[in-house]
Amino acid sequence: MKTFFKSDWFKCVAVLLALSVILGGALAILNDVLFVDAEERTARAIKKIYGEEKEYSVVLDQENGFTCEYGAIDKIYEVGEDTLYRSTGNNGYKNGTVSLWIKVVVEDGKQVIDKVVLDGYDKQTLMSKFTSSYYDGFLTDITDAVTSGQFFSPKTDGEGLKNPMSGATKSANAICNAVNCVIYHISQGDLA
Amino acid sequence: MKTNFKKIATDGVITNNPTLKLVLGTCPTLALTTMAMNGIGMGAAVTFVLICSNVMISLLRNVIPKQVRIPAFVLIIATFVTIVRLLLDKLLPDLYESLGLYLPLIVVNCIILARAESFASKNGAVASAADGLFMGIGFTLALTLMGAFREILGSGAIFGVKLWDFQIGFFASSAGAFFTYGLFIATFAFCSALISKKAKLKSAKAQNLNQEKGGN
Repeated sequence: MKTFFKSDWFKCVAVLLALSVILGGALAILNDVLFVDAEERTARAIKKIYGEEKEYSVVLDQENGFTCEYGAIDKIYEVGEDTLYRSTGNNGYKNGTVSLWIKVVVEDGKQVIDKVVLDGYDKQTLMSKFTSSYYDGFLTDITDAVTSGQFFSPKTDGEGLKNPMSGATKSANAICNAVNCVIYHISQGDLA
Repeated sequence: MKTNFKKIATDGVITNNPTLKLVLGTCPTLALTTMAMNGIGMGAAVTFVLICSNVMISLLRNVIPKQVRIPAFVLIIATFVTIVRLLLDKLLPDLYESLGLYLPLIVVNCIILARAESFASKNGAVASAADGLFMGIGFTLALTLMGAFREILGSGAIFGVKLWDFQIGFFASSAGAFFTYGLFIATFAFCSALISKKAKLKSAKAQNLNQEKGGN
């Protein structure tokens, strides 16, 4: 028995186990202390979009709270007179998705996309191609699009609004779908 | 044995610079040197992990059996990398986002494992901390200089501040990263050889003078 506890094998296993338990415990404590909750993440997103912290009220905060053929909206916030959507567009590269924060404002009775910011993506490998100038391509009056059912497309031909990206059409498709989901949601007139 | 801190410092920053001399940690070097700020951010994160892991490994060097030293080192390094991730996500979210995937990849950064194996596991805690610090400074300097070079030529800016409209897109690309890295390694090797040659000439002159004095 004594030789077993003095053996190299036992020492190796014991040291590795002890390290795992002690370091794991320390990490568990730190994870609790440094945890970033959903409210803080939302505040960060709002700061990213508005450049400062702002008060907001929750209209929708539920995973897949609103779904359509283009994707899903899981968060809708009212920030002053503006409406902020977190929309995830589907049908990207390898059937992946792209999530965007989309700010819609009402100017002279018209619905206008005022800002589009990337929040995250899944399975897309060419997202570095999409600079801020691409997302600025969505900043437009969507009142007619909402009433006539026009949507964004990454293709250069065909009807509807266009925002192509050469060499990353599938990812552009998911990005357009995220915006289209918001247009579709507004066209349904369902903000609750 | 007295620790030679001057040698540790010059080794880490110049003589054995991990990026430009030992060519370690090339993955983050090539990927993150698009901007000078990313270089500083990654360098600071690596320096923190280097110092902490070196100290801990040095303190446990007589406890960790030789047969499981590598898994034990990786466990310790991974813990400190996770701590860095948690701290950055909480306190510096913009930097956390810009470092992206390369932050967790610090765990397998050759510099950290190499210094743990070759220095921290054979020396005291203070010397190991100094080694981690100066190796981290050497890494940070190399990344920052490369990042500044690529940012000025590739984006016409420095630390995010626009300088001019002139841009050479090549330096913002992956090919430009390799080219810049090769250029810096070559320049560093040339300068090192020049300084070494001058030092040898100086010492040869001093030796000759001493011999002449001795002869007289």
